[in-house]
Amino acid sequence: MEPPRSSGVGIDNSGEYSPEIAETLRFEEEIQSLIHPSSFDGSAAPTGGGSFTALLGLPANQAVELLHDSGAREPLASRIRVGGHPVHRPFHLPLDCSSAFPSNATLVDRAARFSVFAAEGSPASSSGRLKAEPQDSDSPPLDPIPTGPAKRKDTGRSKCDVRLSLSFKSQAKATAKKSKNAEENTDGDKLPYVHVRARRGQATDNHSLAERARREKINVRMKLLQELVPGCSKITGTALVLDEIINHVQTLQRQVEFLSMRLAAVNPRIDFSSLDSYLSAECGPVTVRNGPGGVVVDPSLWPTDATAEATRRLLVPQFWHIDLVPPQLQPQQSLTTWERDGAAHSQLLPNPTTSLFLYDPANSGNANVPHLTAKLKTAEDRALNL
Amino acid sequence: MQLTSSFKLVFLKQMLRGFLLSDASSNSMSFHERKNAIKLSADAAIAFARGRTRWSQGLITNLSKNEKNKEILKSLLGREYDNLRKPCGNSLKIPRSKKILRRCLRMCSRRKKAGRAQHICKSILAKALAKKRIQVLKKLVPGGESMDGFSLLDETLDYAMSLKAQVDVMRRLLKTSKASLNIKQMKAWGQGGLDFTAGGHL
Repeated sequence: MEPPRSSGVGIDNSGEYSPEIAETLRFEEEIQSLIHPSSFDGSAAPTGGGSFTALLGLPANQAVELLHDSGAREPLASRIRVGGHPVHRPFHLPLDCSSAFPSNATLVDRAARFSVFAAEGSPASSSGRLKAEPQDSDSPPLDPIPTGPAKRKDTGRSKCDVRLSLSFKSQAKATAKKSKNAEENTDGDKLPYVHVRARRGQATDNHSLAERARREKINVRMKLLQELVPGCSKITGTALVLDEIINHVQTLQRQVEFLSMRLAAVNPRIDFSSLDSYLSAECGPVTVRNGPGGVVVDPSLWPTDATAEATRRLLVPQFWHIDLVPPQLQPQQSLTTWERDGAAHSQLLPNPTTSLFLYDPANSGNANVPHLTAKLKTAEDRALNL
Repeated sequence: MQLTSSFKLVFLKQMLRGFLLSDASSNSMSFHERKNAIKLSADAAIAFARGRTRWSQGLITNLSKNEKNKEILKSLLGREYDNLRKPCGNSLKIPRSKKILRRCLRMCSRRKKAGRAQHICKSILAKALAKKRIQVLKKLVPGGESMDGFSLLDETLDYAMSLKAQVDVMRRLLKTSKASLNIKQMKAWGQGGLDFTAGGHL
């Protein structure tokens, strides 16, 4: 085992091989996450485009190629030792006897190759989301089923090695299961290595393994889609589920059409033109609201609220404050119309109405207000005239 | 997950900007034009809010095929326009000749039928059915033709969620705008006949 180890060390010494070092680092990260599974949440996973999708888009032949790499087997631990993390020692033994690892060089080479693959810019959110979903949806059924889901999860985890246990040692399976369970709550780095584990008694030739990998991938995605589409989880069979999905997507598209039609019918009555100044300010309503009155509305309220509705709800009383102090009219009017737009909840609607009416008489004594209300009235008339 | 409120907010903001840019609220357009403008803004906004995914790129590409929309899209999306437009699109259509595919399938099925059990034929049938549906799905999802099966399913998932968010926000906007109209109506009527005759015609 000396030569592989030395090669591992050698790679660490060669500082110019950046993909190798990067891969080692990522690998360490992942190992750490294995050890501390609870501390890892889905959002913490590095993105860099090596997402779930890129991963599972790995063509079958490359997966098979990975599987069949029988270069100098090097235990995991030695590579970890390269990185100098003594904490990974506990893993040395189980992983040692469980599987075969391809050599460092070939792996790293593939990592470099696949980094191009993986860097195709899938958005972080999608990878994060997709990672979260398999975790949620897959972790319950995973435990009873020993081997297949291990592959599924492993592809999502993107380990650096391909663990192919062609020898059906029970010990290997036990350790593999252990590490799989440890990984279940983690999100590894995004290296596109496909883990395939052959079930006991099943064919282990290239073709069927690749087939199985493909099928597993498809099954994962179908499951996710089933969860999304309402009423789809009871249906079995790919074709029917696809039917439902198509139906759903078509329905949603038609709904968008219909809603845009209705908005077109309603729209001319709404004075959107004055919203421009408000909208152009990114998340800073300050520019709009700091009129001569200097009303301070907390600008952070807008983006940081839990829901859009909550935000709008909070904005309602704020706006009625502004009514009292006259900033420039345009933003003022825009805010009021905007706010009425924003009052998403029907329950809120009586409030704006009443408060509007309330303020008018209340402000009548104020010197500012007649000016204000007159302008409001003219603006409204203008809006109504449209 | 993805349907966070911040996502919806971004979408809403972009959509309203789009309304302004395309001048959707003026009276100068016909109803149909206005509807198209609104739809354009909504689609562009959802693609913008989602970021760079295959379907959003495909969507923007499809939208910019119409020359008139290009300007609007450009000003609406700004810098993101080029990012979203750049890759794929339908130019990467994987060329498949139907004849070849049919021949392949026939040969495969014949070969397999020759000495195999019943269930293999059924699996072929199931595959054919699934293939048909995948084709339909490819047409539905924007930019779908250039994706293979796996990524298509991913993109469908993504797209369906974004559509849901879009529908949700648009519905709320509609509701509130209708409600605000009602308020204006009530105000107008509440303030007596003068306003009503003068300008409160609804």
